[in-house]
Amino acid sequence: MKDSNARVGNTIKKKFFIAFLTGFLALGGIVGIFGLTGTAFAMPLGGMGDFYVEFEELNGTNFEFIPKTGETGNSDSKPMVRNKMDSADISKLHIYKDLKLPTGNWVRVHIKAPSASINGLIQDARFIDANLSFEELSIEEKNSKDITENWTQNASTVSITNATIVTDYLFQSMVSLDGAKISMERIDEPKILQE
Amino acid sequence: MGEKEERVLEKKEKRQEKLLKKYESMEGAGKFKKWRNERPFWGATLTLLAGLMVLYIPLQLYAIAFIPGSLVFVGFLFGGLILIVGTCAYFYPKLSTLFGVITIFLSVLSIMGALGGFIIGTIIGIIGGSLCIAWQQDEISFTAPSDKKRIKRRPKHQRPIENNQSLQA
Repeated sequence: MKDSNARVGNTIKKKFFIAFLTGFLALGGIVGIFGLTGTAFAMPLGGMGDFYVEFEELNGTNFEFIPKTGETGNSDSKPMVRNKMDSADISKLHIYKDLKLPTGNWVRVHIKAPSASINGLIQDARFIDANLSFEELSIEEKNSKDITENWTQNASTVSITNATIVTDYLFQSMVSLDGAKISMERIDEPKILQE
Repeated sequence: MGEKEERVLEKKEKRQEKLLKKYESMEGAGKFKKWRNERPFWGATLTLLAGLMVLYIPLQLYAIAFIPGSLVFVGFLFGGLILIVGTCAYFYPKLSTLFGVITIFLSVLSIMGALGGFIIGTIIGIIGGSLCIAWQQDEISFTAPSDKKRIKRRPKHQRPIENNQSLQA
């Protein structure tokens, strides 16, 4: 009989289980890290039109309030204000955005967190409905043509309660959302808040 | 011969038998089964499925996917890469281990930006990747057993002259 070779595809069980377990360990690790800290780094949200930020209470430090004009979802230049804070602790945070699906239906994406802590917050708001209190508030005017330098408002601490803010841009250097829940719901029509 | 060596030999024999059985089942098989035999078919198929599932969420949120810095864009990237890796696993079976490792890595990372296709995509990706890693092509050699036995039984000095290399030299 002549010597000959044939090839057969085969799955090695030992290799499979090692790879399988390694994959699940990595998955457990990454979910564990997110679950424990609820942390996402450098999270910007913007350029998609208005979205709504609601919370019960916010306590921030090194607050800066700058008027500016900026792009919104349906306009190139609209007057708005930029809020800057070094750090902020928020309770009962609720961010939501209405999106139109290709089918024509509307959905609302909710992000809810019972408590959140943020470092390096920058937020551009078109409309703010809230109770505000400041410490060491200073309002400064400059003879400048630059709208962002013309008039500024600074405070060492700020406390905002029962807020509804129509936001167009949000940036956080570091955000920790404890017990965050993300959900979607169908809605009949989008929410429109006019100032 | 030590016990360990015997066990190893037994294992090898069993594996060879298993492969032979598989080979025999392949002989009368159709074209598709033969094509499947030459590549990590189930690994690649599950990888493709995982890629589609990972892509599902970014496709639903495409309205915000292309905003600079949006994590949804990362979901698109991971889903697309998993699809490409799955397709490549069909055509380059020799690299199946590498494709498997990449699939597992991307599937786990797809939790960010695409929620791993509601986790199901990630789990299917891990299974598909593991199947790709575990897949290999084994060679079965067919030799005439009777010939082998005869050579083994004869002592060196009794071998025919034409086979004796020292004399030929």
